[in-house]
Amino acid sequence: MKKAVCVCLALAVALSLTGCSGLTIFSNYRRLENIELVRTVTVDSQGGGGVNVSVYGTAGEQSEARMYERSGPSVGVAMGKLLLMPLGREAILSHTEALLMGEELAKESIRECLDYVERFSEMRLDTGVLIVRDGTARDLLAGLSGADTPASDTIAGLGRNIARVGEGYFFTAREIASSLADNGCALVQCVRGVEEEKLFEERGELNLEPAGFAVVREGAVCAYLTDQETLGAILLLGKYKSRNVDLALPGAAVTVSVDLAQTELEPVFDREGRLTRLRVRLSLRANVINVAGMADITDEAVRRTCEEALTEQMTGAVRAAVRRGQELALDYLDLEGAIRRKAPLKTADMPDAWQDIFPLLAVDVEGKSVLARTYDIADPPELFGKEDKNPWEKLIESLKGS
Amino acid sequence: MGKTDRITERQLSVLIFVSLLSPMIRILPASAVLFAGRAAWLSTALALPAGAALVGFTRWARKNAPEEMGLADMALAGLGPVAGRVFDILCALWLTFYGGFIARSAAERLLATVYPNGNTPVFIVVMLAVALFTASGLTKTLSRTAEILMPILGAVIAVVLLSALPDVSAGNLLPVTYRDLKAMAYGALPIFDVMAASGYFLFLAGRVRRPKAQKPNAFPWLILLAAVAFGVTFFTLGTLGEKLAVSMENAFFMVVRNIKVLGVVERMEAVVVTVWIVTDFIFLAAVLMIVAEIWRTVTGAKKRAVFVAPSAALSGAAAFLVAGNAFAFQRWSDFIVPAVNLLLAAVLIPAVMAVGKLRRRY
Repeated sequence: MKKAVCVCLALAVALSLTGCSGLTIFSNYRRLENIELVRTVTVDSQGGGGVNVSVYGTAGEQSEARMYERSGPSVGVAMGKLLLMPLGREAILSHTEALLMGEELAKESIRECLDYVERFSEMRLDTGVLIVRDGTARDLLAGLSGADTPASDTIAGLGRNIARVGEGYFFTAREIASSLADNGCALVQCVRGVEEEKLFEERGELNLEPAGFAVVREGAVCAYLTDQETLGAILLLGKYKSRNVDLALPGAAVTVSVDLAQTELEPVFDREGRLTRLRVRLSLRANVINVAGMADITDEAVRRTCEEALTEQMTGAVRAAVRRGQELALDYLDLEGAIRRKAPLKTADMPDAWQDIFPLLAVDVEGKSVLARTYDIADPPELFGKEDKNPWEKLIESLKGS
Repeated sequence: MGKTDRITERQLSVLIFVSLLSPMIRILPASAVLFAGRAAWLSTALALPAGAALVGFTRWARKNAPEEMGLADMALAGLGPVAGRVFDILCALWLTFYGGFIARSAAERLLATVYPNGNTPVFIVVMLAVALFTASGLTKTLSRTAEILMPILGAVIAVVLLSALPDVSAGNLLPVTYRDLKAMAYGALPIFDVMAASGYFLFLAGRVRRPKAQKPNAFPWLILLAAVAFGVTFFTLGTLGEKLAVSMENAFFMVVRNIKVLGVVERMEAVVVTVWIVTDFIFLAAVLMIVAEIWRTVTGAKKRAVFVAPSAALSGAAAFLVAGNAFAFQRWSDFIVPAVNLLLAAVLIPAVMAVGKLRRRY
């Protein structure tokens, strides 16, 4: 009897576990056709303390992307209106990939946005955070949207590829929050919308391009890094993947793909334990991908010249990134952390505080480049005319001679 | 004591392991990082020998005790009927409160991670009702439940921790030098605190069948518990960094929220939170069972089930009254409860056992 009662009770409970009716115990049950999956969120300042929030997403794989916006005195209020007001669907933020903030808002403070990402249970800390330069985030998102190319895809595509072209890195909310907590400052990737000729109807009016890093101090943007400084920051932060670099030689231009860049830091301490100097060594490996003009890359001397030119460019970028940090007195490159890992005991015993040393610290940057290879065509014969310099032919001739 | 309600030492170890996952995730990594900074991930190495020593001591103390003698009986035998009863009642009252605290903790976690607009009383009442139902039953039923759930929990923990690996940054974990040893020792305290809570389960030791050939079954489970503590601290600290990990209420679940398995499965925090609710439920049911067992011993009653419902009601009251809001509850969770737990489980319980042993009462 007892067993039968238990089975009946279990079955009764099971009835309430599934289904879409009001009888289900899932009070937060959402019908698939009523869900709007948000992929991108933008926040812009409206001045006077107000913000404009827009969300961009789709109802499913096959449906068209839509954009909704609301304004409010704070992100929470505006977002509350967006999520609860009748969009026709219920917006779900759990698949948000990118948070775009307008330049004006970023200058005021990005804290509220970061705080929202951290606190709201639907949002994730690995949401990419971007600052939109020369315009509002809302306008950029609207401009990117095309008939068949959702703006979110364009942003996600840039996020995937930006490190591969060495023009930036999409920092996540977690990385930014962690850097702000540990170093008091952080870098945030900037993007801008550019008007280009619309080649295909399915794409939007604007195209998206990276615009360097912004430096955030005390929760607000205080400076923007140049392209060169951004490259240096990527190299020092270990976020580098690859980049194509043009090297100008006398009478020719060589394009190389730098597919490996490693930095090594060596702190130098004096007898009193003071940090007197920081040596940064940059090791680069590049491959020739294009030669224009009269340059024989099979020639050792030509390659040496290329390597020197590459080293100069890349070490220059590292120097620029460090110098800018020193000017701003902000260790956004986490050099202190790197030095601490390299010499933990000496760093702990330093008589002076890092923030006092850093702005005036002598930083030597040296580099070494290696041109590892080219691809298939080592020395196209037509480039050098009849006076051919193909080393293989030279070798064969010399062998015949001997 | 019913002769049918017997469990093996392995089953008790599994019950302890599954139960202690609940407090472990509540206090780690924040408490350990608060003490040890970025060296917290190595604190488990110091907590494990201390935990092993405690387990070894309890095994030694119980070595010659009769099989059906639980900790409540040992206290009566060792301290005498008056002092023994005072000790037992003190433990029962604390554990009644602790049961409420577990229910409230689980409810607060559900609100913070999955149901932001949820209602704590609903979660507390449901948890207590389910735990009441289970705690009124046999010890072996609860132990079997823990045994069955154990592989699921193990698989979820393994998947979660391994999937978090790509986000771990060496900069958040290093450097650690010999100078951090003192901080690491302090960081080991909260981990040892959780391990010491296994002492409460000695009240159920009278239900354990003692095998003829004594094998140390508890140590592998202690090592497994230490491995989970290490994993939770290592991955959370390595992902979030020292300051961010300390500032979050549920740092581990913030890490879980970002996890993607092989780039295919994501948003799995709801599953993980649910799995952890299972550990809360097991722990709560075990605590109610322990409280009822103590009252049965103290009063000399034949059945313990009659004490479960009043204990659950009192635990429910404690859950509602322990703190007015989540901020106040966090203070209880961070300082008061771990401190009392440490005093009782790591000091008083071993002391009582030592007294009985020295007086040759068992």
